[in-house]
Amino acid sequence: MADFLRNFGLPTVILVAEILAIIVPLLLAVAYLTFAERKVLAAAQLRKGPNVVGPFGLFQPLADGLKLLMKETVIPTGANRGVFIAAPILTFVLSLIAWAVIPFDDGMVIANINVGILYLFAISSLGVYGIIMAGWSSNSKYAFLGALRAAAQMVSYEVSMGFVMVSVLLCVGSLNLSAIVEAQRTVWFALPLLPMFIVFFISTLAETNRSPFDLVEGESELVAGFFVEYSSMTFALFYLGEYANMILMSAMTTVLFLGGWLAPFGWMPFTGALGHVWSMFWFFAKIAFVLFCFLWVRATMPRFRYDQLMRLGWKVFLPLSLFWLVATAGFLVTFGLLPGQG
Amino acid sequence: MDVGTVIHAICFYAFAGVAVASGVMVIAARNPVHSVLFLILAFFNAAGLFVLLGAEFLAMILVIVYVGAVAVLFLFVVMMLDINFTALRQGALQYLPIGALIGLILLVELVLVFGAWTMAPDFAASAVAPTPPIAQVTNTAALGALLYTRYIYAFQVSGLILLVAMIGAIVLTLRGREGVRRQKISTQVSRARADAVEVVKVRPRQGV
Amino acid sequence: MIHFALSDFLPALPEMFLAAAALALLILGVCQGDRSAREIAWLSVLALVVTFALVAAPLHAHGPERQISFYGMFVTDGFGAFSKMLVLAGSALSLIVAMRYNEQEGIARPEYPVLVLLATVGMMAMVSANDLISLYVGLELQSLALYVLAAFQRDTLRSTEAGLKYFVLGALASGMLLYGASMVYGFAGTTAFDTLARDFADGGTASIGLVIGIVLIAVGLAFKVSAVPFHMWTPDVYEGAPTPVTAFFSVAPKIAAMSLFIRVMVGPFGGLLVEWRQVIWFIAVASMLLGAFAALNQTNIKRLMAYSSIGHVGYALIGLAAGSAIGVRGILVYLAIYLFMNIGTFTVILCMRRDGKLVENIDELAGLSRTQPGMALALAIFMFSMAGIPPLAGFFAKLYVFLAAIDAGLYGLAVIGVLASVVGAFYYLRIVKLMYFDEPKGAFDKPIGREMQAVLVLTALVILFFFAWPGLLVDGADAVASALFSG
Repeated sequence: MADFLRNFGLPTVILVAEILAIIVPLLLAVAYLTFAERKVLAAAQLRKGPNVVGPFGLFQPLADGLKLLMKETVIPTGANRGVFIAAPILTFVLSLIAWAVIPFDDGMVIANINVGILYLFAISSLGVYGIIMAGWSSNSKYAFLGALRAAAQMVSYEVSMGFVMVSVLLCVGSLNLSAIVEAQRTVWFALPLLPMFIVFFISTLAETNRSPFDLVEGESELVAGFFVEYSSMTFALFYLGEYANMILMSAMTTVLFLGGWLAPFGWMPFTGALGHVWSMFWFFAKIAFVLFCFLWVRATMPRFRYDQLMRLGWKVFLPLSLFWLVATAGFLVTFGLLPGQG
Repeated sequence: MDVGTVIHAICFYAFAGVAVASGVMVIAARNPVHSVLFLILAFFNAAGLFVLLGAEFLAMILVIVYVGAVAVLFLFVVMMLDINFTALRQGALQYLPIGALIGLILLVELVLVFGAWTMAPDFAASAVAPTPPIAQVTNTAALGALLYTRYIYAFQVSGLILLVAMIGAIVLTLRGREGVRRQKISTQVSRARADAVEVVKVRPRQGV
Repeated sequence: MIHFALSDFLPALPEMFLAAAALALLILGVCQGDRSAREIAWLSVLALVVTFALVAAPLHAHGPERQISFYGMFVTDGFGAFSKMLVLAGSALSLIVAMRYNEQEGIARPEYPVLVLLATVGMMAMVSANDLISLYVGLELQSLALYVLAAFQRDTLRSTEAGLKYFVLGALASGMLLYGASMVYGFAGTTAFDTLARDFADGGTASIGLVIGIVLIAVGLAFKVSAVPFHMWTPDVYEGAPTPVTAFFSVAPKIAAMSLFIRVMVGPFGGLLVEWRQVIWFIAVASMLLGAFAALNQTNIKRLMAYSSIGHVGYALIGLAAGSAIGVRGILVYLAIYLFMNIGTFTVILCMRRDGKLVENIDELAGLSRTQPGMALALAIFMFSMAGIPPLAGFFAKLYVFLAAIDAGLYGLAVIGVLASVVGAFYYLRIVKLMYFDEPKGAFDKPIGREMQAVLVLTALVILFFFAWPGLLVDGADAVASALFSG
């Protein structure tokens, strides 16, 4: 029995602890991201934003959460019950499991797999299912239209995102996320691959259905798009999922282009445990910056029309990323910089 | 027994079992959308089996390509089509006996064939590209090294096949519609303020 | 790390040139729109001619020399070069006769010649296949382009139906072929033709699974050459597809698939001749008989040509059943002559147009000798040749395959072949009778176009005067066929 516990129990406990150590702060971060969003938008619009509940309105997200929790879950009569309930759960779960491969610092990652970047890409491409399932099962025109938009939009932008990732891979020679970060010791990829960085950032906006690509919700024409029929906790799960996805995408941008946990210019005043804190501080700071850009864009840009969205994806980003990919490969081969060759 | 083996076995039977069950559900489900969702589940479990085999690259590509792109389009089409699948199934039921008979005969034949399976005497010597040990080389690198050297010809021709599929889809479906007003970004951008706005001083009681 | 040298790719130069030309023309066509259809079509013909020269030049310079490239996936030899030349000629001729028709029917678009070119690349890849994988990718490249071409007249129900039918059944055939290939792979552990040929050289190791695998591959290929009992798609697709596409279908893909059939059966599975000969024997006999009898009461000329082509495939397969160099020579000669007969006949069919509308009924040919004597004469030549009346080329085509059958001791096959061709002669000669002895139904639209006249004259002359210089074709076929067996 003791043997069993040592072999099975201990690793399981450690694993669960690790998972909790990521998920609990993540959910907190999600809650305060919604708060930050309202504050940033308010600042951009010269308002005050939430300021009633608690000091500076800091308890606002908790109050919102509590409100959603207390409400009644309404399932429309014509809805396809199983799928209707599965959709928000799927969205939420997908936004959490991707964190298994994100490295917070050298070696601080739950699963340091060889194909980390592909795993992230796979998970993010699955996100569309939550939306499609929700839109279809709601048995509502608005929701269905939102789902169709989402399907086309996410598939379109994944293509150029894929090319961007491949060009990063060309520079690294590995699909492992830690290796990608380590490869940026000399220079963050955002500089040499600047166009790709921009394409990637805009694609992540489209991939998370954020403004200016939030046609999936499109409140002015589709009421609330795919989740128009959702209420209470089912709605809350979508909401949590969306914001967790934003954080995930920011983490991905940070890892791929902004040097992950590396401090700028290799500035490393601490060692040991404090060094870890220092690295993680930079990682979170970068994520926060990218998140701020998400909100900033939302405050600034009007929503795209659907044909503009498709044009941007297929006629601008796809050729651009393809060209840059070939250019990157050509450059690396010409100057013998291809990793794993020398 | 080793812990790893046990977990491995549990995972294998879970993935394989769910894959088979969802495969059955694909054809058994009443609702076509449910069929597609079960198909996706089957893909997913197949990817899990790949992971157990140590082929993590294939597993991820399976999820990205089949689940993330192909099945989305499937779902898209199935949701858009308003096909009465029960009527279709009625038609199929007519041919079920003969279909089942042929299937049964084939099955019996296959059982006989595989029961008496032999391999060529120099089977092992004929294998062209043995799998490199997993510890030495990641399977992404191993696949790439094979695909772009030994199988470059098949790879390139496959590219042409996909191109033909794309041309075909466009040729057969693209129609230039009359009277569509397209957005011309270049004209929009090149429009100067002077073309659009005229500042007129309007004097009182004189009009423009 | 493996490094490629340019010379590694040199054997595939014709294929690469043609693929590059197709891509370039595609870009040109997309940029210029539908106006450029004719220009692109002529440029495609030019590309095919250049490719023909690229294939012919090494054959002329070095003779039928066998060369393996791309890690054994790709083989270039005399047999391949010969078949490729036939395929290229077929594609070029069918492109030339297609232009006018496409313009009249409003389907003249630059994608048409581009798809023909890509299909031709696929056919060349099939002919050069030296591995089950390269066989399959070549076949798919060809088939996919053909599915699209069959549905090219997308606004008509018949054409889209033809495309869809061809696609569904073609996919089934590909599935069979893949299944068979996987069984062969499961037995031998390799997909390379050379290794397979070495494994089966003595012929003693065939297990039941392997034989089923070979049979399934043969089924897939029999579908592609439309041999009975896998011919069901042929009449519908031939009838429904736009006529120039039918003309193309009846020659180039058939020649390519037939060459692939020979390459697979004689190459890797040559040692197992006794195992697969009976299968080929059966489908040859069934094709000949069905081609002869089912065509008797057809009224649509395209359907008639479909059954006629099924019959011709049956005759050609006799050469394969013989499984000898003489047999392969017979097939090559047959395919070459068939190419000219068929293109000529389809040129006439493409001209069957009255008051701007297509007519496809055989009765519409009545009295053609009085209204358009030249065209009637040409069609009569083709019909006599197809019926196998000496001294026209079609007679020699049949003669060579029957000789091969007798040489291999397949007397039954030869006798059935002769009987089937006697039955078949009936419906070919009925057309001649219609044209020369029935009351005229009025002339077809004139002029038929200069390029059509040129193709008609060329093919008719080839068929008519083949007997004067048979050596030109037969010696070449003989050389490459014996090289296939010795190498």
